[in-house]
Amino acid sequence: MTTPTGANTPSLSTPTVPHGVGNVSSSSVAPSRSKEPRDGGSSASGTFGVKSGLAQMLKGGVIMDVVNPEQARIAEEAGACAVMALERVPADIRAEGGVARMSDPAMIKEIIDAVTIPVMAKVRIGHFVEAQILQAVGVDYIDESEVLTPADEEHHINKHAFKVPFVCGARNLGEALRRISEGAAFVRTKGEAGTGNVVEAVRHTRAVQSAIRQASVMSEEELYLFAKEIGAPYHLLKETSRLKRLPVVNFAAGGIATPADAALMMQLGCDGVFVGSGIFKSGDPAKRAKAIVQAVTHYNNPKTLAEISGDLGEAMVGLNIEPDMKGGRMANRGW
Amino acid sequence: MSSASSSPNATVGILALQGAFAEHQMMLQRLSMKRRIVVVQVRTADDLAKCDALIIPGGESTTMAILARSAGLLEPLKEFLRKKVVWGTCAGAILLSKSVENAKKGGQELLGGISVKTARNGWGSQVESFEAPLQVEGLRDTSRPFTGVFIRAPVVFELVPSPSDPPIEVIARLPPQCLPRSQTDIADESDARTIVALRQGRHLLTTFHPELTNDNRFHEYFIQECVLPSLS
Repeated sequence: MTTPTGANTPSLSTPTVPHGVGNVSSSSVAPSRSKEPRDGGSSASGTFGVKSGLAQMLKGGVIMDVVNPEQARIAEEAGACAVMALERVPADIRAEGGVARMSDPAMIKEIIDAVTIPVMAKVRIGHFVEAQILQAVGVDYIDESEVLTPADEEHHINKHAFKVPFVCGARNLGEALRRISEGAAFVRTKGEAGTGNVVEAVRHTRAVQSAIRQASVMSEEELYLFAKEIGAPYHLLKETSRLKRLPVVNFAAGGIATPADAALMMQLGCDGVFVGSGIFKSGDPAKRAKAIVQAVTHYNNPKTLAEISGDLGEAMVGLNIEPDMKGGRMANRGW
Repeated sequence: MSSASSSPNATVGILALQGAFAEHQMMLQRLSMKRRIVVVQVRTADDLAKCDALIIPGGESTTMAILARSAGLLEPLKEFLRKKVVWGTCAGAILLSKSVENAKKGGQELLGGISVKTARNGWGSQVESFEAPLQVEGLRDTSRPFTGVFIRAPVVFELVPSPSDPPIEVIARLPPQCLPRSQTDIADESDARTIVALRQGRHLLTTFHPELTNDNRFHEYFIQECVLPSLS
Protein backbone atom coordinates (compact mmCIF):
# COMPACT_ATOMS: atom_id res chain seq x y z
CA MET A 1 0.00 0.00 0.00
CA THR A 2 2.80 2.37 0.87
CA THR A 3 4.96 1.39 -2.06
CA PRO A 4 3.91 3.18 -5.24
CA THR A 5 3.66 0.60 -7.97
CA GLY A 6 2.91 2.16 -11.33
CA ALA A 7 0.78 0.11 -13.68
CA ASN A 8 3.68 -0.13 -16.10
CA THR A 9 6.32 -1.20 -13.60
CA PRO A 10 6.97 -4.87 -14.22
CA SER A 11 7.21 -6.88 -11.05
CA LEU A 12 10.47 -8.75 -10.71
CA SER A 13 9.27 -11.09 -8.03
CA THR A 14 8.07 -14.62 -8.74
CA PRO A 15 4.54 -14.48 -10.15
CA THR A 16 1.86 -16.54 -8.51
CA VAL A 17 1.02 -19.85 -10.12
CA PRO A 18 -1.23 -19.22 -13.13
CA HIS A 19 -4.15 -21.56 -13.18
CA GLY A 20 -3.46 -23.15 -16.52
CA VAL A 21 -5.26 -26.21 -17.74
CA GLY A 22 -3.00 -28.76 -16.21
CA ASN A 23 -1.78 -26.90 -13.18
CA VAL A 24 -1.86 -28.62 -9.84
CA SER A 25 -1.50 -27.00 -6.46
CA SER A 26 2.16 -26.27 -5.82
CA SER A 27 1.72 -27.10 -2.17
CA SER A 28 0.89 -30.73 -2.80
CA VAL A 29 3.86 -32.87 -1.96
CA ALA A 30 4.51 -36.58 -1.70
CA PRO A 31 4.15 -37.60 1.95
CA SER A 32 6.99 -38.35 4.33
CA ARG A 33 7.80 -42.03 4.83
CA SER A 34 10.09 -41.70 7.82
CA LYS A 35 9.57 -44.07 10.72
CA GLU A 36 8.17 -43.21 14.12
CA PRO A 37 11.07 -42.67 16.51
CA ARG A 38 12.00 -45.51 18.81
CA ASP A 39 13.58 -44.64 22.10
CA GLY A 40 17.21 -45.66 22.36
CA GLY A 41 16.90 -47.44 19.05
CA SER A 42 19.65 -47.77 16.52
CA SER A 43 19.80 -46.30 13.06
CA ALA A 44 18.13 -47.88 10.04
CA SER A 45 19.41 -47.65 6.46
CA GLY A 46 17.65 -48.52 3.21
CA THR A 47 14.20 -47.57 4.58
CA PHE A 48 11.49 -46.41 2.23
CA GLY A 49 11.82 -43.05 4.02
CA VAL A 50 15.38 -42.48 2.84
CA LYS A 51 14.65 -43.95 -0.61
CA SER A 52 11.72 -41.64 -1.34
CA GLY A 53 13.47 -38.86 0.58
CA LEU A 54 16.33 -38.68 -1.93
CA ALA A 55 13.77 -38.28 -4.73
CA GLN A 56 12.26 -35.40 -2.74
CA MET A 57 15.69 -33.73 -2.66
CA LEU A 58 15.93 -33.98 -6.45
CA LYS A 59 12.66 -32.10 -7.01
CA GLY A 60 12.75 -28.92 -9.02
CA GLY A 61 15.87 -30.26 -10.67
CA VAL A 62 17.13 -31.74 -13.93
CA ILE A 63 18.64 -35.23 -14.22
CA MET A 64 20.87 -35.50 -17.28
CA ASP A 65 22.05 -38.51 -19.30
CA VAL A 66 25.85 -38.62 -19.58
CA VAL A 67 28.15 -41.18 -21.22
CA ASN A 68 31.53 -40.21 -19.75
CA PRO A 69 33.12 -38.23 -16.86
CA GLU A 70 33.62 -35.14 -19.07
CA GLN A 71 29.90 -34.93 -19.83
CA ALA A 72 29.12 -35.55 -16.16
CA ARG A 73 31.29 -32.57 -15.20
CA ILE A 74 29.55 -30.37 -17.80
CA ALA A 75 26.19 -31.45 -16.36
CA GLU A 76 27.30 -30.71 -12.79
CA GLU A 77 28.64 -27.28 -13.76
CA ALA A 78 25.35 -26.51 -15.51
CA GLY A 79 23.45 -27.26 -12.28
CA ALA A 80 22.11 -30.80 -12.86
CA CYS A 81 20.73 -32.24 -9.60
CA ALA A 82 21.88 -35.74 -10.65
CA VAL A 83 23.31 -37.57 -13.66
CA MET A 84 22.27 -40.82 -15.33
CA ALA A 85 25.39 -42.77 -16.32
CA LEU A 86 24.96 -44.85 -19.49
CA GLU A 87 27.00 -46.09 -22.43
CA ARG A 88 24.77 -44.74 -25.18
CA VAL A 89 22.09 -42.05 -24.96
CA PRO A 90 18.64 -43.24 -26.13
CA ALA A 91 19.00 -41.49 -29.52
CA ASP A 92 22.08 -43.64 -30.24
CA ILE A 93 20.41 -46.80 -28.92
CA ARG A 94 17.64 -46.11 -31.45
CA ALA A 95 20.06 -45.43 -34.30
CA GLU A 96 22.41 -48.35 -33.64
CA GLY A 97 19.89 -51.00 -32.59
CA GLY A 98 20.93 -54.30 -31.00
CA VAL A 99 20.47 -55.31 -27.37
CA ALA A 100 20.97 -52.44 -24.95
CA ARG A 101 22.27 -53.56 -21.52
CA MET A 102 23.49 -52.14 -18.21
CA SER A 103 26.59 -49.96 -18.66
CA ASP A 104 30.13 -51.05 -17.79
CA PRO A 105 30.50 -50.74 -13.97
CA ALA A 106 34.04 -49.37 -14.42
CA MET A 107 32.65 -46.50 -16.51
CA ILE A 108 29.94 -45.84 -13.91
CA LYS A 109 32.60 -45.73 -11.16
CA GLU A 110 34.59 -43.16 -13.12
CA ILE A 111 31.50 -40.98 -13.32
CA ILE A 112 30.80 -41.43 -9.58
CA ASP A 113 34.36 -40.26 -8.88
CA ALA A 114 34.07 -37.27 -11.21
CA VAL A 115 31.05 -35.56 -9.59
CA THR A 116 29.56 -34.81 -6.15
CA ILE A 117 25.90 -34.97 -7.25
CA PRO A 118 23.96 -38.27 -7.14
CA VAL A 119 24.72 -40.77 -9.92
CA MET A 120 21.98 -42.99 -11.32
CA ALA A 121 22.29 -45.88 -13.75
CA LYS A 122 19.89 -48.02 -15.77
CA VAL A 123 19.15 -51.73 -15.60
CA ARG A 124 17.02 -53.80 -17.96
CA ILE A 125 13.41 -54.42 -16.89
CA GLY A 126 13.39 -57.54 -14.68
CA HIS A 127 17.19 -57.94 -14.59
CA PHE A 128 17.71 -58.10 -10.84
CA VAL A 129 21.33 -59.21 -11.12
CA GLU A 130 22.26 -56.06 -13.02
CA ALA A 131 20.58 -54.23 -10.11
CA GLN A 132 22.63 -56.20 -7.55
CA ILE A 133 25.77 -55.20 -9.43
CA LEU A 134 24.83 -51.52 -9.53
CA GLN A 135 24.01 -51.55 -5.82
CA ALA A 136 27.48 -53.02 -5.17
CA VAL A 137 29.06 -50.34 -7.38
CA GLY A 138 27.45 -47.70 -5.12
CA VAL A 139 25.10 -45.86 -7.48
CA ASP A 140 22.62 -43.57 -5.71
CA TYR A 141 19.52 -44.55 -7.73
CA ILE A 142 18.67 -47.31 -10.23
CA ASP A 143 16.39 -46.70 -13.22
CA GLU A 144 14.63 -49.94 -14.23
CA SER A 145 14.26 -48.65 -17.74
CA GLU A 146 12.34 -49.41 -20.91
CA VAL A 147 15.15 -47.68 -22.82
CA LEU A 148 17.24 -50.84 -22.39
CA THR A 149 16.13 -54.15 -23.89
CA PRO A 150 13.88 -55.94 -21.36
CA ALA A 151 15.31 -59.06 -19.69
CA ASP A 152 11.91 -60.32 -18.52
CA GLU A 153 8.69 -59.84 -20.44
CA GLU A 154 6.38 -60.53 -17.48
CA HIS A 155 8.05 -59.49 -14.24
CA HIS A 156 9.66 -56.35 -12.96
CA ILE A 157 12.34 -56.41 -10.26
CA ASN A 158 11.19 -56.80 -6.65
CA LYS A 159 12.59 -53.44 -5.63
CA HIS A 160 11.76 -53.80 -1.93
CA ALA A 161 14.63 -56.31 -1.72
CA PHE A 162 17.25 -53.61 -2.36
CA LYS A 163 18.82 -50.88 -0.20
CA VAL A 164 19.40 -48.69 -3.23
CA PRO A 165 16.24 -46.87 -4.39
CA PHE A 166 14.60 -47.33 -7.82
CA VAL A 167 12.87 -45.05 -10.30
CA CYS A 168 10.54 -46.55 -12.94
CA GLY A 169 8.69 -45.28 -15.99
CA ALA A 170 4.91 -45.23 -16.35
CA ARG A 171 2.38 -44.28 -19.02
CA ASN A 172 -0.68 -44.16 -16.80
CA LEU A 173 -1.82 -44.32 -13.19
CA GLY A 174 -2.20 -48.10 -13.06
CA GLU A 175 1.34 -48.65 -14.29
CA ALA A 176 2.75 -46.05 -11.86
CA LEU A 177 1.01 -47.66 -8.87
CA ARG A 178 2.11 -51.18 -9.91
CA ARG A 179 5.72 -49.97 -9.91
CA ILE A 180 5.32 -48.31 -6.49
CA SER A 181 3.80 -51.54 -5.22
CA GLU A 182 6.95 -53.37 -6.36
CA GLY A 183 9.05 -50.89 -4.38
CA ALA A 184 9.79 -47.98 -6.73
CA ALA A 185 10.37 -44.85 -4.60
CA PHE A 186 10.24 -42.48 -7.55
CA VAL A 187 8.21 -42.50 -10.80
CA ARG A 188 8.76 -40.81 -14.16
CA THR A 189 6.75 -40.67 -17.36
CA LYS A 190 8.06 -42.93 -20.08
CA GLY A 191 7.56 -40.43 -22.85
CA GLU A 192 9.38 -41.68 -25.95
CA ALA A 193 13.11 -41.64 -25.25
CA GLY A 194 15.61 -40.57 -27.88
CA THR A 195 13.10 -38.70 -30.04
CA GLY A 196 13.40 -35.09 -28.85
CA ASN A 197 9.59 -35.12 -29.21
CA VAL A 198 7.74 -34.17 -26.04
CA VAL A 199 4.31 -35.39 -27.19
CA GLU A 200 4.40 -38.79 -25.45
CA ALA A 201 5.62 -37.33 -22.13
CA VAL A 202 2.69 -34.90 -22.28
CA ARG A 203 0.29 -37.75 -23.09
CA HIS A 204 1.53 -39.83 -20.14
CA THR A 205 1.46 -36.93 -17.66
CA ARG A 206 -2.05 -35.96 -18.76
CA ALA A 207 -3.21 -39.58 -18.44
CA VAL A 208 -1.86 -39.88 -14.90
CA GLN A 209 -3.26 -36.50 -13.80
CA SER A 210 -6.65 -37.18 -15.32
CA ALA A 211 -6.96 -40.57 -13.61
CA ILE A 212 -5.92 -39.00 -10.27
CA ARG A 213 -8.62 -36.36 -10.67
CA GLN A 214 -11.19 -39.07 -11.35
CA ALA A 215 -10.06 -41.15 -8.38
CA SER A 216 -10.06 -38.17 -6.04
CA VAL A 217 -13.86 -37.86 -6.14
CA MET A 218 -14.72 -41.59 -6.11
CA SER A 219 -16.52 -43.41 -3.32
CA GLU A 220 -14.91 -46.50 -1.75
CA GLU A 221 -17.04 -48.83 -3.92
CA GLU A 222 -16.00 -46.99 -7.06
CA LEU A 223 -12.34 -47.11 -6.01
CA TYR A 224 -12.46 -50.92 -5.73
CA LEU A 225 -13.79 -51.11 -9.27
CA PHE A 226 -11.35 -48.51 -10.60
CA ALA A 227 -8.44 -50.40 -8.99
CA LYS A 228 -9.52 -53.51 -10.88
CA GLU A 229 -9.93 -51.62 -14.16
CA ILE A 230 -6.50 -49.96 -14.10
CA GLY A 231 -4.71 -52.93 -12.53
CA ALA A 232 -3.58 -50.96 -9.48
CA PRO A 233 -3.28 -52.17 -5.88
CA TYR A 234 -6.32 -50.84 -4.00
CA HIS A 235 -4.44 -49.39 -1.01
CA LEU A 236 -2.14 -47.31 -3.22
CA LEU A 237 -5.06 -46.07 -5.32
CA LYS A 238 -6.87 -45.08 -2.16
CA GLU A 239 -3.85 -43.17 -0.91
CA THR A 240 -3.50 -41.45 -4.29
CA SER A 241 -7.15 -40.47 -4.17
CA ARG A 242 -6.71 -38.99 -0.68
CA LEU A 243 -3.49 -37.12 -1.55
CA LYS A 244 -4.76 -36.04 -4.99
CA ARG A 245 -1.29 -36.82 -6.35
CA LEU A 246 1.03 -39.81 -6.81
CA PRO A 247 2.29 -40.99 -3.42
CA VAL A 248 5.92 -40.61 -4.57
CA VAL A 249 7.87 -37.95 -6.50
CA ASN A 250 7.01 -37.84 -10.21
CA PHE A 251 9.35 -36.53 -12.92
CA ALA A 252 8.85 -36.06 -16.66
CA ALA A 253 11.07 -38.01 -19.06
CA GLY A 254 11.29 -39.07 -22.68
CA GLY A 255 11.56 -36.42 -25.39
CA ILE A 256 12.37 -33.21 -23.51
CA ALA A 257 14.70 -31.12 -25.67
CA THR A 258 14.19 -27.42 -24.90
CA PRO A 259 13.74 -25.13 -21.85
CA ALA A 260 10.14 -24.63 -22.97
CA ASP A 261 9.55 -28.42 -23.00
CA ALA A 262 10.90 -28.61 -19.44
CA ALA A 263 8.72 -25.72 -18.21
CA LEU A 264 5.69 -27.28 -19.94
CA MET A 265 6.16 -30.52 -18.01
CA MET A 266 6.57 -28.57 -14.75
CA GLN A 267 3.40 -26.57 -15.39
CA LEU A 268 1.58 -29.81 -16.11
CA GLY A 269 2.41 -30.79 -12.53
CA CYS A 270 5.67 -32.81 -12.73
CA ASP A 271 8.16 -32.42 -9.86
CA GLY A 272 11.25 -32.22 -12.10
CA VAL A 273 12.60 -33.50 -15.42
CA PHE A 274 14.98 -36.04 -16.92
CA VAL A 275 16.75 -34.93 -20.09
CA GLY A 276 18.35 -37.73 -22.05
CA SER A 277 19.59 -37.17 -25.56
CA GLY A 278 18.29 -33.58 -25.58
CA ILE A 279 21.45 -32.06 -24.13
CA PHE A 280 24.48 -33.88 -25.53
CA LYS A 281 22.87 -34.32 -28.97
CA SER A 282 22.42 -30.55 -29.28
CA GLY A 283 24.73 -27.90 -30.73
CA ASP A 284 25.87 -26.31 -27.44
CA PRO A 285 25.34 -28.83 -24.59
CA ALA A 286 26.72 -26.67 -21.72
CA LYS A 287 24.53 -23.71 -22.62
CA ARG A 288 21.41 -25.77 -23.25
CA ALA A 289 21.91 -27.73 -20.03
CA LYS A 290 22.15 -24.52 -18.02
CA ALA A 291 19.06 -23.08 -19.71
CA ILE A 292 16.97 -26.19 -18.99
CA VAL A 293 18.07 -26.13 -15.32
CA GLN A 294 16.91 -22.51 -15.05
CA ALA A 295 13.67 -23.27 -16.90
CA VAL A 296 12.74 -25.88 -14.28
CA THR A 297 13.26 -23.37 -11.43
CA HIS A 298 11.56 -20.42 -13.15
CA TYR A 299 8.92 -22.52 -14.99
CA ASN A 300 6.16 -20.09 -14.05
CA ASN A 301 7.93 -16.97 -15.21
CA PRO A 302 7.54 -16.51 -19.00
CA LYS A 303 9.79 -13.45 -18.99
CA THR A 304 12.70 -15.43 -17.54
CA LEU A 305 11.91 -18.32 -19.88
CA ALA A 306 12.14 -15.95 -22.84
CA GLU A 307 15.57 -14.73 -21.72
CA ILE A 308 17.04 -18.19 -21.19
CA SER A 309 15.55 -19.76 -24.34
CA GLY A 310 17.43 -17.46 -26.69
CA ASP A 311 20.63 -18.22 -28.59
CA LEU A 312 21.06 -21.85 -27.52
CA GLY A 313 22.32 -23.22 -30.84
CA GLU A 314 20.83 -26.22 -32.60
CA ALA A 315 18.35 -28.40 -30.69
CA MET A 316 18.63 -32.15 -31.22
CA VAL A 317 17.01 -33.41 -34.39
CA GLY A 318 13.53 -34.61 -33.49
CA LEU A 319 11.72 -37.78 -34.56
CA ASN A 320 8.02 -38.14 -35.21
CA ILE A 321 6.27 -40.86 -33.25
CA GLU A 322 5.30 -43.48 -35.87
CA PRO A 323 4.57 -47.20 -35.61
CA ASP A 324 7.61 -48.11 -37.74
CA MET A 325 10.00 -45.52 -36.29
CA LYS A 326 13.65 -46.47 -35.97
CA GLY A 327 14.21 -48.29 -32.68
CA GLY A 328 10.46 -48.83 -32.16
CA ARG A 329 8.16 -47.65 -29.41
CA MET A 330 10.20 -48.06 -26.22
CA ALA A 331 7.27 -46.90 -24.07
CA ASN A 332 5.43 -50.14 -24.87
CA ARG A 333 8.03 -52.13 -22.93
CA GLY A 334 7.05 -52.78 -19.30
CA TRP A 335 3.98 -54.48 -17.90
CA MET B 1 2.50 -3.32 5.28
CA SER B 2 5.88 -1.79 4.76
CA SER B 3 7.20 -1.84 8.31
CA ALA B 4 7.88 -5.32 9.60
CA SER B 5 8.04 -4.23 13.24
CA SER B 6 4.41 -3.13 13.43
CA SER B 7 3.19 -6.13 11.46
CA PRO B 8 1.59 -8.93 13.43
CA ASN B 9 2.82 -11.40 10.82
CA ALA B 10 6.19 -13.06 10.55
CA THR B 11 7.25 -13.68 6.96
CA VAL B 12 9.37 -16.78 6.52
CA GLY B 13 10.95 -17.33 3.12
CA ILE B 14 11.98 -20.71 1.75
CA LEU B 15 14.67 -20.69 -0.91
CA ALA B 16 12.78 -22.31 -3.80
CA LEU B 17 15.48 -22.73 -6.44
CA GLN B 18 15.64 -26.54 -6.23
CA GLY B 19 15.00 -29.29 -3.68
CA ALA B 20 12.50 -29.99 -0.93
CA PHE B 21 11.11 -26.48 -0.43
CA ALA B 22 7.43 -27.47 -0.62
CA GLU B 23 7.94 -29.89 2.30
CA HIS B 24 9.14 -27.03 4.53
CA GLN B 25 6.19 -24.95 3.41
CA MET B 26 3.73 -27.70 4.39
CA MET B 27 5.35 -28.00 7.82
CA LEU B 28 5.19 -24.25 8.47
CA GLN B 29 1.59 -24.04 7.31
CA ARG B 30 0.61 -26.75 9.79
CA LEU B 31 2.04 -24.85 12.78
CA SER B 32 -0.26 -22.91 15.03
CA MET B 33 1.71 -20.06 16.54
CA LYS B 34 0.67 -16.89 18.35
CA ARG B 35 1.88 -14.85 15.45
CA ARG B 36 0.63 -15.62 11.94
CA ILE B 37 3.36 -17.10 9.77
CA VAL B 38 3.36 -16.01 6.15
CA VAL B 39 5.37 -18.30 3.88
CA VAL B 40 7.06 -17.00 0.72
CA GLN B 41 8.86 -19.08 -1.91
CA VAL B 42 12.06 -17.20 -2.72
CA ARG B 43 13.37 -17.26 -6.30
CA THR B 44 14.42 -13.62 -6.77
CA ALA B 45 15.95 -10.78 -4.73
CA ASP B 46 12.49 -9.14 -4.59
CA ASP B 47 11.02 -12.27 -3.00
CA LEU B 48 13.84 -12.27 -0.44
CA ALA B 49 13.28 -8.61 0.47
CA LYS B 50 9.84 -9.51 1.87
CA CYS B 51 11.23 -12.00 4.39
CA ASP B 52 12.00 -11.77 8.11
CA ALA B 53 13.72 -15.15 8.11
CA LEU B 54 14.80 -17.76 5.56
CA ILE B 55 14.99 -21.55 5.31
CA ILE B 56 17.49 -23.04 2.87
CA PRO B 57 16.09 -26.52 2.15
CA GLY B 58 17.65 -29.84 1.25
CA GLY B 59 18.45 -30.50 -2.38
CA GLU B 60 21.70 -30.31 -4.31
CA SER B 61 23.93 -27.56 -2.93
CA THR B 62 25.86 -27.16 -6.22
CA THR B 63 22.61 -26.75 -8.17
CA MET B 64 21.28 -24.19 -5.69
CA ALA B 65 24.51 -22.17 -5.75
CA ILE B 66 24.54 -22.09 -9.57
CA LEU B 67 20.86 -21.06 -9.70
CA ALA B 68 21.38 -18.44 -6.99
CA ARG B 69 24.20 -16.92 -9.01
CA SER B 70 22.19 -16.76 -12.24
CA ALA B 71 19.17 -15.30 -10.43
CA GLY B 72 21.39 -12.57 -8.90
CA LEU B 73 20.67 -13.92 -5.42
CA LEU B 74 24.15 -14.66 -4.06
CA GLU B 75 24.96 -11.18 -2.74
CA PRO B 76 21.42 -10.51 -1.41
CA LEU B 77 21.59 -13.86 0.41
CA LYS B 78 24.96 -13.03 2.00
CA GLU B 79 23.57 -9.65 3.04
CA PHE B 80 20.46 -11.34 4.48
CA LEU B 81 22.67 -13.67 6.55
CA ARG B 82 24.39 -10.70 8.17
CA LYS B 83 21.08 -9.27 9.43
CA LYS B 84 18.40 -11.91 9.68
CA VAL B 85 17.65 -15.43 10.80
CA VAL B 86 18.53 -18.35 8.50
CA TRP B 87 18.07 -22.11 8.93
CA GLY B 88 19.90 -24.49 6.61
CA THR B 89 18.94 -28.18 6.34
CA CYS B 90 21.32 -30.65 4.63
CA ALA B 91 22.28 -28.88 1.38
CA GLY B 92 21.33 -25.65 3.16
CA ALA B 93 23.77 -26.55 5.94
CA ILE B 94 26.54 -26.95 3.35
CA LEU B 95 25.77 -23.52 1.89
CA LEU B 96 25.93 -21.95 5.38
CA SER B 97 29.35 -23.50 6.14
CA LYS B 98 32.55 -21.51 6.18
CA SER B 99 34.31 -24.22 4.17
CA VAL B 100 33.52 -27.62 2.69
CA GLU B 101 35.37 -30.90 2.02
CA ASN B 102 34.61 -33.22 -0.92
CA ALA B 103 33.39 -30.23 -2.95
CA LYS B 104 33.03 -30.56 -6.70
CA LYS B 105 36.16 -30.13 -8.82
CA GLY B 106 37.10 -26.48 -9.02
CA GLY B 107 35.42 -25.77 -5.68
CA GLN B 108 31.94 -24.81 -4.74
CA GLU B 109 30.31 -21.49 -3.99
CA LEU B 110 29.18 -21.05 -0.35
CA LEU B 111 27.25 -18.38 1.50
CA GLY B 112 29.02 -18.87 4.83
CA GLY B 113 27.44 -17.52 7.99
CA ILE B 114 28.15 -20.38 10.39
CA SER B 115 31.68 -21.17 11.60
CA VAL B 116 31.83 -24.83 10.67
CA LYS B 117 33.67 -26.92 8.15
CA THR B 118 31.44 -29.63 6.66
CA ALA B 119 32.12 -32.62 4.44
CA ARG B 120 29.65 -33.31 1.62
CA ASN B 121 28.15 -36.80 1.54
CA GLY B 122 30.16 -37.39 4.70
CA TRP B 123 28.56 -40.77 5.47
CA GLY B 124 28.85 -42.10 1.91
CA SER B 125 26.48 -42.69 -1.01
CA GLN B 126 22.72 -43.25 -0.94
CA VAL B 127 22.90 -46.86 0.34
CA GLU B 128 24.46 -45.40 3.52
CA SER B 129 21.54 -42.97 4.03
CA PHE B 130 19.74 -43.67 7.31
CA GLU B 131 17.16 -42.68 9.90
CA ALA B 132 18.06 -42.36 13.58
CA PRO B 133 16.25 -41.28 16.77
CA LEU B 134 17.72 -38.03 18.15
CA GLN B 135 17.51 -36.25 21.47
CA VAL B 136 17.26 -32.55 20.67
CA GLU B 137 17.93 -29.93 23.33
CA GLY B 138 15.09 -27.42 23.74
CA LEU B 139 12.45 -29.19 21.64
CA ARG B 140 8.91 -29.40 23.00
CA ASP B 141 8.40 -32.76 24.68
CA THR B 142 12.21 -33.20 24.84
CA SER B 143 12.14 -36.76 26.12
CA ARG B 144 10.38 -37.96 22.95
CA PRO B 145 13.08 -38.64 20.32
CA PHE B 146 12.96 -36.82 16.99
CA THR B 147 13.48 -38.90 13.84
CA GLY B 148 16.56 -37.62 12.05
CA VAL B 149 16.41 -38.46 8.34
CA PHE B 150 19.94 -38.38 6.91
CA ILE B 151 20.06 -38.50 3.10
CA ARG B 152 23.53 -38.32 1.54
CA ALA B 153 23.98 -36.02 4.50
CA PRO B 154 26.87 -33.67 5.14
CA VAL B 155 29.01 -34.21 8.23
CA VAL B 156 30.18 -31.39 10.51
CA PHE B 157 33.91 -31.91 10.25
CA GLU B 158 35.23 -29.20 12.50
CA LEU B 159 34.05 -26.13 14.42
CA VAL B 160 36.11 -23.17 13.24
CA PRO B 161 34.95 -20.13 15.24
CA SER B 162 37.05 -16.99 15.26
CA PRO B 163 37.16 -15.00 18.53
CA SER B 164 34.71 -12.40 17.24
CA ASP B 165 32.06 -14.99 16.24
CA PRO B 166 29.03 -15.64 18.44
CA PRO B 167 29.32 -18.89 20.45
CA ILE B 168 28.26 -22.19 18.86
CA GLU B 169 25.58 -24.12 20.72
CA VAL B 170 25.27 -27.81 19.87
CA ILE B 171 21.63 -28.91 20.13
CA ALA B 172 21.79 -32.50 18.86
CA ARG B 173 24.36 -35.24 18.38
CA LEU B 174 24.13 -38.69 16.85
CA PRO B 175 24.16 -41.19 19.72
CA PRO B 176 27.05 -43.70 19.49
CA GLN B 177 24.80 -46.67 18.70
CA CYS B 178 23.37 -44.75 15.72
CA LEU B 179 26.63 -43.88 14.00
CA PRO B 180 26.86 -45.53 10.59
CA ARG B 181 28.85 -48.74 10.85
CA SER B 182 31.37 -47.44 8.32
CA GLN B 183 32.47 -44.75 10.82
CA THR B 184 34.61 -46.91 13.08
CA ASP B 185 37.14 -44.16 13.82
CA ILE B 186 34.73 -41.97 15.82
CA ALA B 187 35.59 -43.16 19.32
CA ASP B 188 34.93 -39.96 21.22
CA GLU B 189 31.36 -38.76 21.81
CA SER B 190 32.55 -35.15 21.66
CA ASP B 191 33.94 -35.64 18.13
CA ALA B 192 32.58 -32.83 15.92
CA ARG B 193 31.38 -35.43 13.44
CA THR B 194 28.63 -36.53 15.84
CA ILE B 195 27.06 -33.03 15.75
CA VAL B 196 23.88 -32.97 13.66
CA ALA B 197 22.19 -29.74 14.80
CA LEU B 198 23.67 -26.51 16.10
CA ARG B 199 22.99 -22.81 16.54
CA GLN B 200 25.32 -19.88 16.15
CA GLY B 201 24.05 -16.35 16.70
CA ARG B 202 20.80 -16.00 14.76
CA HIS B 203 21.32 -19.08 12.63
CA LEU B 204 20.34 -22.73 12.84
CA LEU B 205 21.97 -25.65 11.05
CA THR B 206 20.78 -29.26 10.75
CA THR B 207 22.45 -31.94 8.67
CA PHE B 208 19.20 -33.97 8.58
CA HIS B 209 15.69 -33.31 7.25
CA PRO B 210 13.01 -32.37 9.82
CA GLU B 211 10.75 -31.56 6.83
CA LEU B 212 10.68 -35.25 5.86
CA THR B 213 8.92 -36.31 9.05
CA ASN B 214 5.36 -35.83 10.27
CA ASP B 215 6.74 -34.21 13.43
CA ASN B 216 6.59 -30.40 13.37
CA ARG B 217 8.47 -29.82 16.63
CA PHE B 218 11.65 -28.70 14.87
CA HIS B 219 9.81 -26.10 12.78
CA GLU B 220 8.05 -24.92 15.91
CA TYR B 221 11.45 -24.62 17.63
CA PHE B 222 12.82 -22.58 14.72
CA ILE B 223 9.91 -20.11 14.80
CA GLN B 224 9.76 -19.93 18.60
CA GLU B 225 13.47 -19.82 19.41
CA CYS B 226 15.03 -18.18 16.37
CA VAL B 227 12.50 -16.22 14.31
CA LEU B 228 10.15 -14.60 16.86
CA PRO B 229 12.91 -13.39 19.24
CA SER B 230 14.64 -11.69 16.28
CA LEU B 231 11.50 -9.66 15.56
CA SER B 232 10.85 -8.25 18.99
